[in-house]
Formats: sequence, C-alpha cells, structure tokens
Amino acid sequence: MSCRFTRRAALTLPLSLCTTRARAFGDGGAFNPRLLRAGNQAPLGVRSSGAGRWSWELVRRTSAPARLVPGEVAADQPALQAEPFAIWAGLADPGLLSAAEVRGLTRFLRLGGVLLVDDVNPAAGAFGSGARRELARVLPESAPVRLDPAHVLFKTFYIVDRPVGRVLGPAELTAIVRGKNTQVIFLQHDLLGALARSGEGFAFETEPGGLEQREHAIRLAVNIAMYVLCSDYKDDQVHAPFLMRRRARQKP
Amino acid sequence: MILAALALAEGVPPVTLWAVALLSAVSLGFLLLELRRREGKGGRGLLVTGGLALAFLAASVLRPARVSTRGVSVGAQVVVLVDQSRRLLLPSDGQTRRDLALGTARDLAKHFAAARVSLRGFGAGEAKPLLVEDALKHPTAADLSDESDLTSALNALAQEPGERPKAIVVVSDGRFARPTEHADEAALRELSTALDAPIHTVAVSERAPRDASIRSIRTSGATVAHQPLALTIEIGCSGGLSCGEIPVTARELRHGVEPFVLASGVAKLAGDSATVELGITLERAGARLVEVSIDAPEGDTIPENNRRILTFSVTRDRLRVLHVAGRPTYDVRALRMWLKSDESIDLVAFFILRTDQDNTETTDDAELALIPFPVDELFTEHLPSFDAVILQDIDAVTYKLARHLPALANYVQSGGGLIMVGGPSAFGGGGYARSPLESVLPVELRGNEQPFDTADFVPRYTEAGRSAPVLHGVTELFGDELPTFSGSNTLGAARPGSIVLWEHPERRVGQGAMPVLALGEAGDGRSIALGVDGTHALSFSEFADRAAGRAYGALWDGLVGWLMRDPRYEALRLELAGPCIAGLPASLRLVRLPGAAGDVSLELTRLGPKSAPLLSQRIKNPAPGPLELELGVLEAGGYSAAARAGAAPPTRFDFACERGGASWSDSRPDPERLARLARASGGKAVSRAEIADLPIPSPMQVAAERSSAPLLPAWAWTLAAALSFGAHWYARRRQGLL
Repeated sequence: MSCRFTRRAALTLPLSLCTTRARAFGDGGAFNPRLLRAGNQAPLGVRSSGAGRWSWELVRRTSAPARLVPGEVAADQPALQAEPFAIWAGLADPGLLSAAEVRGLTRFLRLGGVLLVDDVNPAAGAFGSGARRELARVLPESAPVRLDPAHVLFKTFYIVDRPVGRVLGPAELTAIVRGKNTQVIFLQHDLLGALARSGEGFAFETEPGGLEQREHAIRLAVNIAMYVLCSDYKDDQVHAPFLMRRRARQKP
Repeated sequence: MILAALALAEGVPPVTLWAVALLSAVSLGFLLLELRRREGKGGRGLLVTGGLALAFLAASVLRPARVSTRGVSVGAQVVVLVDQSRRLLLPSDGQTRRDLALGTARDLAKHFAAARVSLRGFGAGEAKPLLVEDALKHPTAADLSDESDLTSALNALAQEPGERPKAIVVVSDGRFARPTEHADEAALRELSTALDAPIHTVAVSERAPRDASIRSIRTSGATVAHQPLALTIEIGCSGGLSCGEIPVTARELRHGVEPFVLASGVAKLAGDSATVELGITLERAGARLVEVSIDAPEGDTIPENNRRILTFSVTRDRLRVLHVAGRPTYDVRALRMWLKSDESIDLVAFFILRTDQDNTETTDDAELALIPFPVDELFTEHLPSFDAVILQDIDAVTYKLARHLPALANYVQSGGGLIMVGGPSAFGGGGYARSPLESVLPVELRGNEQPFDTADFVPRYTEAGRSAPVLHGVTELFGDELPTFSGSNTLGAARPGSIVLWEHPERRVGQGAMPVLALGEAGDGRSIALGVDGTHALSFSEFADRAAGRAYGALWDGLVGWLMRDPRYEALRLELAGPCIAGLPASLRLVRLPGAAGDVSLELTRLGPKSAPLLSQRIKNPAPGPLELELGVLEAGGYSAAARAGAAPPTRFDFACERGGASWSDSRPDPERLARLARASGGKAVSRAEIADLPIPSPMQVAAERSSAPLLPAWAWTLAAALSFGAHWYARRRQGLL
C-alpha cells in the first residue's frame, strides 16, 4: 500500500484503523504510551483511556507522531521489548512480581526503556510503594532519587514548574536514573486520571480543580513523551540561553 | 723492491729487550760511579772493556738478526662521493647538476688513475657504490634521495672495517642537509678526524640560477580539523632576479571540484628572502593535500619550485556532527542516544518539535521551551565546521532547507559527510528529488512516484553488503538476518560508483531490486542513503534484545566510520610504494584486509574538477598478499586512486607528486661551504675545470716476502762476552781493584 503521509490526517482516522494494522511508514517510531500489566493489579477501568488521550494531545500539540490506541503489554511478554516506553499505573499494591515479570522488566530497562509509574490513588499510596518495592527487585543497584527542578523533564516542550495530575500531588518528581538516563519516573499525581476520557468529556475532575490544572497535567504528559522521544535534547548547550531567558520572564 | 732492517731473533719477546737494556744501564751506571770515586789513570780501559763486556752479553741474550722484506707499491685508496640528492636534477649550464656531477666523477676516475678509486653515491645515510654509466641512463625514484647528508656518509665510511682511504673527494653543489651552512670550523674538522684523510671538494655548480622559489614551509603543532593552523612560508629569490612583492596562495586540492583557496598573502622581499605567514583551517580529517604557490616574476628559470604540495595528516579533536530531524520519533531517539553516548562525537542537534499547524494551547511562546530552527545560520555560517550532517526525515521545503541544498551539495563535494535517514519526509517525500542535493546522494530519487511504501519488509543483504567492513559489526551479531521494517522510502537506482548494501526484496527499480541502504562518493565527500525509518529496531525490539541492543551501535559505528574514512571500515589499504616524483615511474602498494576477496580494480584520477581517469586497471583474482600496482610516469600534481576488491565499497587514497619538492626549494649552489669543508680537513676545493689540481696521494708499499738471518751465531756472542769480561777482569787487577 502506498500513501501520502499527513500527520493531521492521522488524528481524523477512525480509531479502529489504528488498532490492528501493522504500523504505517512513519508510525514505527511513533510515541506509544502502552499500559503495563504486572503483578496482580486490578484493571484501570476508564483511566486506561488516558493513554489514548495522551497520544491525541501529543499529536495535536507537537510534531511528534503517536499511536492513538496504545494498547497493553504484559511484563512477562517479549512484546515489552518492542518499544522503549510503558506506563505502570495502579490503584493498589501490585503484589509480588513473578520471576518472569522481573526478568522482562530487567531486560526492558537494560535495553534503555523508560517506565512511568503512576499511582492513580496517591492518597492511599499503596500502588506507589508496592511498585517501588518491586522495582527494587528489578534494579537492586539503583535507588530512586528526587529530580532537580532544572531536570530536562521540566523543559522538553513546555516550561513546567512542577508536576501535577488529577491531583496536585508532591511538587517534585522522583526517578531511577541509570547513567545519564532517567529510566523510571515515579508519579504520585494520577496523570492518567487527568487525561482519561468518558464520552465527550474528561472522566475525572481535577483536585483541587480547574482547567489550568488539567492543562498543566497535559503539559507534563507532553513533556514526558518528548523526553521519551528526544531524551535530553533540551539540555543541549544550544538551548540554554533561550531557556534561561524564558524562565526569567516567567518568574518576575 | 727489497727493504732490510735489524730486528731481534725470532722468539725473543720485546720485554726481554727492555730487561736487558735496564740491567746493562744499571751495570754501566755502577761502573761509572766507581771510576768517578777512584782517582788516577787507567779508567778509560776499564770503561771500554766493561762496556764491551755488557754489549756482548746483551747481544748473546737478544741475538740480533737481519730482516729482509720484498714488497710492491700500490696506488692509495681514494673515495669519490657523488651527491645523489634529487636537488642535483636542477638545471645548470644546459644540463642538470646531476649530469655534471656524474661527468665529474668520470673525470676524477681518470685523474686518480694511479690510485684506487671507489665511486659512491651519497644521499641520506651511508654512501652506496655508484656506477656512472647506469646512473646516467635511467635514474629511478629509488636512486635519488630527498636530501644530501654528507655527515652520515662520512661517519659510515669511517666505521667501515679494512683499509682507510688516503683521500676523499666530494662532488656536489654544496647545498647539503648536513653539515649545515652554519657548521663551524671545528664541526667541519671533526668530519675528517676519524678518517684521518683530507677531504677534497669539487663544485659542480657555482652560479645561482635566476630563481624565485618557496624555500621552506613550516607549521607549528599538530594539524587538527576545524582548528586554525599557521603556515610560515619562506620565499627566496636568487641569481639577480628582481622579485619585489610576490603573491603567495594556499589552496586545498579536492576531488571533483576546483582547488579551494584557503589563504593568500604577499611576500615583500627586501634582500634575497622574505617570510609570509598564512593562516589556514582544514575542515576535513585524513590526508589532505595543500598546494602552496607563488606568482614568480618574469625571468624565473625554475618554475617547478614555485609550487609545493604538502600532505597534511589531519586529525580530529572530536567528530562534529549536525543531526537534524523533522519530528521526534523512537528512531530519532535511538540515533541521538547513540551519538550522545560516544564521547568522541561533538553533537549539534536540531529537532522540529512543533509545526505551524500544531495547537500548543499557549498564549505566549515563553511558556514553551522551544527555539526557532536556525536553518539559515546552520547551513551557511556553521556548515563547514561539521564533519558530517545527518538529515533524518526532515521536509526540505517546509523547513526552508531547500534554499540551502546547493550549499549542502557543495559541502559534500568539498569533503563533508552526509547521511539521509528515511521517513515520510525524507528523500522524495521531503522535496529532495531533482534538487542539487540529489546529485550527491548515492541513489537517484524518483520525484514523480509515491515517496514511500507502507508495506512491512525485511531488507536483503547484497553481495557487497555481506563483504563490506561497514556492516561487519551487524553481520557478526545476526548473520544475514535483519528486523522487519514498517515501510520504505522510494529510492531510485544506485548512481554509478555507488554501492548498495541492503536492497528491497520486492520493490524494483528497472530490472533490479530497489536500494534500501547505499553508500556513495561525491566529489571529495561521501554520502549514505538509508531508506527506512526503523533502524531503532536494532536498538530496542524483541529482535534487538537477542544481542542486547548492540547491533544498533555496530551499524552506526560502521556508517559514520565509513563516512569519515575510518580505515577500520575500508576493505583495502593503499600507500605509495616509494616517493612519487614527477617524471619518474611511481607505484602504489595495495593491502587487502581480511575478508576482501575477488578481482582488484584501480582507477587513478587527478585531484580537481571531474576528469577522465588517467589509468584503469583490473587484476583478476590476484594471489593473497600485498600487491604493487604500477602507475607509470606522472606529472606534478595531486592524484586520487580509488581501488576496489570484489564487491566491497571502494577505498580512496589521495597523494601528491612533485618535481623537486623540498629538494628544489633552494636552488643556490653553496661552493663556499665546499671550500670551508676542504680547508678544515686539509683538502683542496676546486671547480670542475680544476680537477687536475687535486693532489694524488702517495702509493702504499705492500709486503710480499720476508726473511730473517742472525748477525752472528749465539756462541760467538757468548765467546766475545767471555773474552771481554776476561779483559775487564785483567784491567781491574792491574788497577788494583780486586
């Protein structure tokens, strides 16, 4: 099949076309926020639509291509190694990962993959602490650290001051950094909840609320996607003077 | 001729002589002392008899003999050292100085007919035997050296075992590399001390020709790409030529294009020389040929030394790469991470993160961490500073790159490296078809067709792909296997001289398979076309996991290494078998690296605008081992040899041929130095016409027969000693001394 690629056209394609067919030319390297299944976690329900909305927002706002129906992948399946990004989100403690799941995640991270751990019930914090416990088994040599506010994640596309999701959450991010690469990002903000759709609107209200918070959550999602696609591109020296001037304008 | 002499009898060691002499002296001393104390007559008799007794006693011990020697007279050895440097090919009196020097050597052989003459040629190192007739016929590059080092030749001569020469005659124009013109009398004397023989000199040329020349070119420090380098150029003027101001230009000789002017200046000659400094910057690493030339004034008789071609081995501090991507994808991510992981790469990256159609939901650009794509600045001001440019899936029209494509094509023609990586906006899909850049890509682009195809496929290795060192890293990990790619760009046929490494299993171009990965040479640079956007599958995929993602690095190591002419990714190594001297036969040595098999082909072209090959040859299935390829007689200039073994990509080797090179840089003879050398060693300095004035050393006597006979038998000496002692005893009694 030959076709003329337009990214804008991709947004208007029926979603069903994107779910089954092998990727089109130019789509092979598209951002794909796959949901990771690991442990005995409960289904995410409507929150799983947040991944598709993430892609949709990315395509609408940036030049990056993205898979509009991302799908799921299990930690113990070889398909986890097919792409370098996955989201591990949950409501409750995922329990002990199987040996195959630990092996799968180890290979994923050793290849250089990026894993976003999103605690969608940060008030309880059970998923977040359970996920940290299990990832300590996957990467026993690497402990999570707090990311500096000047970290590239806060400037890969938007200039972001702090992470937010459906909830305001902590003002900083923690992550497992291996070498120069931030490979596991821990969120306690229910980012998928902020993006999840139900019918024509968003599935959940933001807390404490407001359009601005949701917009900032989307911007964080876009920045995370850009980090996955460009790594530390915005840390290049050529960008430094521009970003310093813009940050100075934003903070009078 | 017979010679006679007195000697001790055979078997008497010299120490005996000394012992006898000592005892006799002591005895005589005591006798004299005794006679002095005693007053009265008869002392003379005592002294005579005592002395005789001692003399006969000594003779009876030493037994003196008469030695006769019969010998012959032979001529002394004379060594004639003839200068064999390339400088002597300079013209002089309608001939070359070399012709004059060899003629002089012949005349010297006649002049020293009574002596034994050993003719030797000297250049660098020890002097070698010289056959004048052969040397006059066909001088080869190997016969001539870049310089004349008389000091080394004389030192080597002094260390030779056997007979020492009685005289040395040096035939030269005196412009030695050693001893230098600043050598003092003591240093010059030192040259002959070990030989203990006079050094005579014959000046083959005494008058400086009318000549303006580049006397020397000096650089300071290593030559590093992109970093300024100062050339200090000394211009000389001799023979009464009126020089004044002489323009000096430095150009880089490049393949397929006109020489590129690096710098120019003017040398203002007040005396017979002037120095001018030119700052140049060589942008490309590897062997780069720089031509320095002067515009000599009218009347210059030696135009060959108005130009020098220097080969600079340019190293890189770091490989400077420009990576431009039309949109961020996993393929961009993988390439960026690989480029950033290599400490030897200085990466400048620009990715298009937002298009005009994107809605960022911002009211102020200050909310964005985006900067304008500095396309004009990058592709004008900064372009020459990059060693390689990677264009990844970027639309040339949308992002205003189209207007810079002529400059980018020139950049490649001038030695830059270019990789175009596939994607919907690459090749024909990005507006590159029928653009100036198409001409430097290794494949043709088909502008009127769909720019890409979406069908999944697994590329197929071509024969060249299997044998190319550039892909050895990948084939070592996966053999012939490759991952599945999601679609391919539409590429045309490979350009003549380009090599296809991967091809599409189904898509066709004319009768052949469509190229997927191709390498090509374009002028002085190289380019690569990669018609897929999914090589990240070698870094991160189920397929890549089998080799822990190492295949991606192996692929890009090879591609960027080949682009930058890293010898590890060449199938052959080429080098000159000896110095390339214009007008003399030259040859190349070709070494095939392991795995390079099949016929070997060689094409030789002149560096500069495209021209027909000077030489094309093909060797069918040559035997293993290095090959020596004759290039014939070449004129002065820069050349490029492209050799290929079997189906592997060709290897290029650039080299220069000069008529005189450094040897002709100073055409002035130096008879004064010859005169000082002769004077310091006690020799004589003459011109060619004054050879007859050179002294012929005395012949040597060589012993042929020797006989020895005692003067008297031993008993006669003993009897005489006894009688003498008896007489002495009698005399003592008479004097009342007993």
